[in-house]
Amino acid sequence: MELLDRYLQAVRKHLPLRRQDDIVAELRANMESQIEDKEAELNRPLTQGELEDLLRKIGSPVMVASHYQPQQYLIGPAIFPLYLYVLRTAIVWTIIIYSLVMICVVPFTSPNTTGVVDSLLHMPGVLINVAAWVTLVFVAFEFFASRYPEKCPPIAGVTEKWNPSSLPPLEKDDGSGRKPRSFAQAVAEVLFGFLFLAWLLLIPRHPFLIMGPGAIYLQVAPFQLAPIWWTAFWWIVALSVLQIAWRCVDLARGRWQYPSRTQRTTIQAFGLIPIVLLLSLSNNVYVTLRNPAVNLAQYGNALLAINSSIRFGLLIVCAIAVLSLALELSQLAWKAYRRREAAR
Amino acid sequence: MTVAENLFESLRLELRRGSLTLAVLAQLRKEHYGYTLRKDLADRGLEIDESTLYPLLRRLETQGLLTSEWREEDKRNKRFYRLSPDGELILAKLLDEWQAINASINRIFEQPQS
Repeated sequence: MELLDRYLQAVRKHLPLRRQDDIVAELRANMESQIEDKEAELNRPLTQGELEDLLRKIGSPVMVASHYQPQQYLIGPAIFPLYLYVLRTAIVWTIIIYSLVMICVVPFTSPNTTGVVDSLLHMPGVLINVAAWVTLVFVAFEFFASRYPEKCPPIAGVTEKWNPSSLPPLEKDDGSGRKPRSFAQAVAEVLFGFLFLAWLLLIPRHPFLIMGPGAIYLQVAPFQLAPIWWTAFWWIVALSVLQIAWRCVDLARGRWQYPSRTQRTTIQAFGLIPIVLLLSLSNNVYVTLRNPAVNLAQYGNALLAINSSIRFGLLIVCAIAVLSLALELSQLAWKAYRRREAAR
Repeated sequence: MTVAENLFESLRLELRRGSLTLAVLAQLRKEHYGYTLRKDLADRGLEIDESTLYPLLRRLETQGLLTSEWREEDKRNKRFYRLSPDGELILAKLLDEWQAINASINRIFEQPQS
């Protein structure tokens, strides 16, 4: 019966410390009875193979011992939904804050794009860290709640009676028949907003990001952009930051399902400012010569044509933007009128 | 196993889980040790693994529904279990509950399907 002894020795190693002797003794008694009955049935001792089959049928030592452990959870079913919610929120806000720092600090402290790339590569490690800490906190809570339930603070809606009156108000359908936007979509918009802002901020130092291989022309061409473009550029950056901030506030306040039309209209209206700024130039100079004293004779006509083309293009863009804004405002006005009529 | 077979097996185990406790308590109105209890339950149509039964006995004893003692029988020390007084009360209540559930399910099956 050496095999049985070895089996019980292996089971013992995984049993709760206090009850090892008792459990092993009981298992031995039951298994020996089982073996005896089998041998009485066969009218001979069991072979090594038959004994191995019997032990295989009973189960591996780890599995057998695990049934004697008290049922325990790393994070129990009562608080698991809350854990998932906190984990998801923590991951999302970590991505947002990390992206913000990456965009606003790194390009100005790092001489080239490798700083931003390095930061991006570090992000998974940061997220794993955050997830690990959130998990650890909930594991600790589960540990103490299961052993000292009277000492743990109640969690509203999970461990204590919740109040139906404290439920949030009904989310209003905005009546447009629009489908509610999902949380994932809202977060994706914020993330793409950050990516767009990062791209914008990198353009001045890395014009290839907008012009591709044509950026080389900027270095050899006799032309350069007029200072007015810097003003327009920073307006566009400010607009982008405003849009991201507004979307983050919507996320934080739980209002991502039906983004406000007023928000969209406001952004569109502010978007006109850089275009109007560019069009308001009295001399229509959008591009100048690097060396006017040397190049004016050769490139003067070309310069005039370029500036006229840019102005014409800006006029078209402005017309489209104004029409779009007018349409949006008229739709808002019509809706407000219908709501007022319905209320009467 | 197909998906349907896996699903059935999982639901069957769930259905059996509660019934096993009732069966074990009922059988321990008479004293048994682990192996004979398992044999008797199997003879009455309820197969149960050793790895399920023996820890269940320990758990029921910890809950105060069973009492146990070590005794020598056939030159071997064995742990004998039987129902405690609390166990008898609980068994009676569980049996009533089980019969009520059984009756409800029978009524559900008997009602005409419209």
